[in-house]
Amino acid sequence: MTAPHHAPMALLEVRDLGKRFDAAGGGDAPWVIRGMGFAVADGEFLTVVGPSGSGKTTLLNMIAQTDHPTEGEVFLRGERILHAGAPRLNPGWNRQIGYVTQEDNLLPWRSALDNVLYALRLVGADDAAGRERARDLMAAVGLAGFEDYYPHQLSGGMRKRASLARTLVYDPPVILMDEPFGALDAETKAILQHDLMTVWASKRKTIVFVTHDITEAIALGDRTLVVSRAPARVTLDQANDLPRPRRAEDVIVHPAFPPLYERVRAAIR
Amino acid sequence: MTGPAGRAFDRLLVAALLLAGWQGASAAWGEYWASGPLPAAAAFWRLVASGSLPTNALYTLEATAWGFAIGLPPGILLPFLLRRHPRIRAVLDPFMVAAYGVPKLALAPLFIVWFGIGIGSKVALVASVTFFIVYFNAMAGVAAVDRRLIATVRVMGAGEWRVLTDVVWPASVPFVFAGIRTATPYAVGGTVVTELISSNRGLGHLIQLSANRFQTNEVFAALFGVLILVIGCNLAVQAVERRLLRWRPPVFAASGAAG
Ligand SMILES: Nc1ncnc2c1ncn2[C@@H]1O[C@H](COP(=O)(O)OP(=O)(O)OP(=O)(O)O)[C@@H](O)[C@H]1O
Ligand SMILES: [Mg+2]
Repeated sequence: MTAPHHAPMALLEVRDLGKRFDAAGGGDAPWVIRGMGFAVADGEFLTVVGPSGSGKTTLLNMIAQTDHPTEGEVFLRGERILHAGAPRLNPGWNRQIGYVTQEDNLLPWRSALDNVLYALRLVGADDAAGRERARDLMAAVGLAGFEDYYPHQLSGGMRKRASLARTLVYDPPVILMDEPFGALDAETKAILQHDLMTVWASKRKTIVFVTHDITEAIALGDRTLVVSRAPARVTLDQANDLPRPRRAEDVIVHPAFPPLYERVRAAIR
Repeated sequence: MTGPAGRAFDRLLVAALLLAGWQGASAAWGEYWASGPLPAAAAFWRLVASGSLPTNALYTLEATAWGFAIGLPPGILLPFLLRRHPRIRAVLDPFMVAAYGVPKLALAPLFIVWFGIGIGSKVALVASVTFFIVYFNAMAGVAAVDRRLIATVRVMGAGEWRVLTDVVWPASVPFVFAGIRTATPYAVGGTVVTELISSNRGLGHLIQLSANRFQTNEVFAALFGVLILVIGCNLAVQAVERRLLRWRPPVFAASGAAG
């Protein structure tokens, strides 16, 4: 069996993952990621921080199987779902892994509601109940009244929120998020962080959440990983032992917060 | 003046200037050679009233429409079929480029030899013109599809067919229409030229007949009929395009992709 040793059993595990892109002018391309390994427990909220260009998006692309790894393996519930040299990728692994990408990637020719409904439509679940659910989620991310807008008629932050809703709508057990709240104002960000915590707590989702905001990483994450500059690998794996439920405003005044923050900040170089 | 009303006024002004220039030229060279706006208009109404212009225009339109109907589907579909077969595409490419490079009007005599002086030769010419123009435009559209959108719908569970219908097709529609818009005047022109060379019907035939009889006014009237046909086809294409591309920001819809 391939289950790792620490308990509870890892839902998702990344082992010795490495990536190098084809060199532009021939010759040996540098490693973007090398020797990357970590495990995420079922229902865990993992946050990942690291310098810009360190390979965080590349890491999520490989876990979501939209890109090939050069080395290493990925396991889901102990089953190897991806390995270097795999002949073909299975993006999203049969809708088990959702991915809120760094760019919103909404379909420009579909209205906001149709974008949110898309994953349900793929499996014929865009019935009355499905539409109800899509509308509720749009309201939850503050997009009530914008259902019929096309993506080009929405602001960058609104598009980001629509892309969040369209992944939540089909309820994948694992969700990868690449800076989902990067482009938002403090107020909206706080509301969405709160909503995400609510969804996560009620559905026990397993979340891998990339962010540049250290406070956000500690406030949201059970654990925070820091990845190094290229070639990226894990340089800090920190459990954020703070009481739940949390709210970002409360977390920053908690006495345990400053040392957690300081260790993450020091690890990002 | 600004807005649509202002633009309409400006266009009328340009039209008036062009007509005045024509009138001046006809006065300078004599009506016999250059015709003139008024006698040409009179000839136009005469031909409309006699039914000669509408009948011939309809014949030209019919040939053009059939040519489109035959040339368009493979021009649109082939790039979609070849999307996942880069090897076949690479092998075909030089042949397609070479065939595209042949001036199609030069093929008109050959098509007449093969398909006769009836509608067949016009349809064949129009089909070959539209196929290549639309093929290369659709190919550019298929190649320009944002791969991140494809990856995103795949993650949500979309298979190859859904990728094609939900991402590749809508992303390529603007390119396909750029091709159709480019092809339209060539298509009408192709029919007319083939009719000029050999036909007993159509606007090209009318032009040829009138020129042979030195009826310059009638030649201009028939040319005006060709113009109306091209404009009408363009408006029809634009109407369909506008319906299909409602999702696009207006700045793109106005300019469109390059042909
Ligand atoms: N398709 C590609 N081809 C070549 N190099 C690439 C490609 N995609 C990413 N890279 C390189 O991989 C490295 C990591 O990029 P990545 O997008 O994963 O960084 P990131 O950590 O997500 O950065 P940010 O925080 O700015 O989003 C960069 O040096 C980038 O140039
Ligand atoms: Mg990134």
